[in-house]
Amino acid sequence: VSELTAKTIAELRDGFRSGAFSAREIAQSYNAAVAAARTLNAYTVETPEDALAAAGAADNARNSGQLGSLAGIPLGIKDLFATKGVDSTAGSNILKGFRPTYESTVTANLRKAGAGMLGKLNMDEFAMGSSNETSAYGPVLSPWRRKGSNVGLTPGGSSGGSAAAVAAHIAPGVTGTDTGGSIRQPAAFVGICGIKPTYGRCSRWGVVAFASSLDQAGPMARTVRDCAILLEAMAGFDPKDSTSLDLPVPQWEANLSSDLKGKRVGIPREYRIDGVPSEINALWDRGIEWLKDAGATPVEISLPHTKYALPTYYIIAPAEASSNLARYDGVRYGMREPGEGGLDGMYGATRANGFGAEVKRRIMIGTYVLSAGFYDAYFTKAQKVRALIKQDFRNAFQQCDVILTPTAPSAAFGIGETTDPLAMYLNDVFAVPASLAGLPAMSVPGGVDEQGLPLGLHLIGNELDEQMVLNAGLAIEERAGFTARPEKWW
Amino acid sequence: VIDQKLRLRDDAITDGDIREDILSNAPDAEHGFFAVPKVIE
Repeated sequence: VSELTAKTIAELRDGFRSGAFSAREIAQSYNAAVAAARTLNAYTVETPEDALAAAGAADNARNSGQLGSLAGIPLGIKDLFATKGVDSTAGSNILKGFRPTYESTVTANLRKAGAGMLGKLNMDEFAMGSSNETSAYGPVLSPWRRKGSNVGLTPGGSSGGSAAAVAAHIAPGVTGTDTGGSIRQPAAFVGICGIKPTYGRCSRWGVVAFASSLDQAGPMARTVRDCAILLEAMAGFDPKDSTSLDLPVPQWEANLSSDLKGKRVGIPREYRIDGVPSEINALWDRGIEWLKDAGATPVEISLPHTKYALPTYYIIAPAEASSNLARYDGVRYGMREPGEGGLDGMYGATRANGFGAEVKRRIMIGTYVLSAGFYDAYFTKAQKVRALIKQDFRNAFQQCDVILTPTAPSAAFGIGETTDPLAMYLNDVFAVPASLAGLPAMSVPGGVDEQGLPLGLHLIGNELDEQMVLNAGLAIEERAGFTARPEKWW
Repeated sequence: VIDQKLRLRDDAITDGDIREDILSNAPDAEHGFFAVPKVIE
């Protein structure tokens, strides 16, 4: 049964339905694989009994013919999602031991579709990081290594545990969240697919908040089709999230088509930036050829405010984070440090001890840009620039149907190799503009670099047009022939 | 960034009677309330 972990979600679903294997066998294979891969530090909590219970229900339901779209499929869940009765800590000490008495809408949707849970996945603390090194549980190790080297590599972040789990075949698919690239950059680093839908497609209810105007949940999996299957189950209107889109969920999987005849692919000239390895630009050029081969026409487009996207993001996201994270005060949930000096001392000690360095940095930046004297100069200005970035995309989508860029400006780096926060923030240079504009965007593996590490291609679609993103992703997937796998060392 | 109007819903109670749930994760709770260090001497 060990080969069950080599199958895609679509294959598992179809095999389970046809009776080739049982849901229980799938869950057992994955539970064993999860337990055997603890070296990677991908899971913070393992929930084998949850996966088995859902599998048992799926096996019983198989005869009745009333099966949800994910019946028999066990998934990994990023630790940012509240899961009833299971530790949900956002990778932070300040939430250690927090066991929600409720279930996030996204995970509830997945459960309703029949999915079980393998466990909670490690992540950068409060999703603030691009390497999973800010987690209170310690960094996740990528299953990938450079050719001829055993240096530990990061799986990217913040959905680092999610990415490592899919790449190491210790989950067939997982949830991630993306505020400024946290699904797409890790997906690129480990050679898997990951899509962030249009802002508002997936409910934020029960997802620990980082930057509420940017946060979006999305799936990560081995194939474009698997991402479509998962996203269909995760998405949907939720009255409990005031920014949830009241729209029906499209049938993304059924409508998958890699025939791009008549479609125009925008190539933004501002994304040719200095310092990006030539291999990444070469892969970008190959991606253009693949989409041409699928019938699309490349058109050069301009997104003139691109260079302001990263600075704008690093004002808006910390501003929202500093406000959202004010709730961790040691009173209602999470850890408490008594400190000295009564209630105020308790607040201070709790936050000083509970948050890690990167989270504190962003709270301070956010508090600064929202302070009375600087609000207009930073926060208001950033909101205006955000509107201009959105307008850039509106103009661009007059000329094209989807935009192709690289996902990240480098391949995966080693743990401890990037110590300068600004250098770390640069990881998201290609991902952040789509986040600020609320657009659907996906990373698909394109190839490997000289050191044998995966590189991703990034597709950005117009709002609500996840289908176009998925279809272009499928066209690349079919042509890239990406079959590289990390050699098992864990 | 995505054009939408803020919805209004009926002014009706959607939850409640979950005091134990709410207090279950509190570092300290007494008599059905969150407990904090003494504020008034």
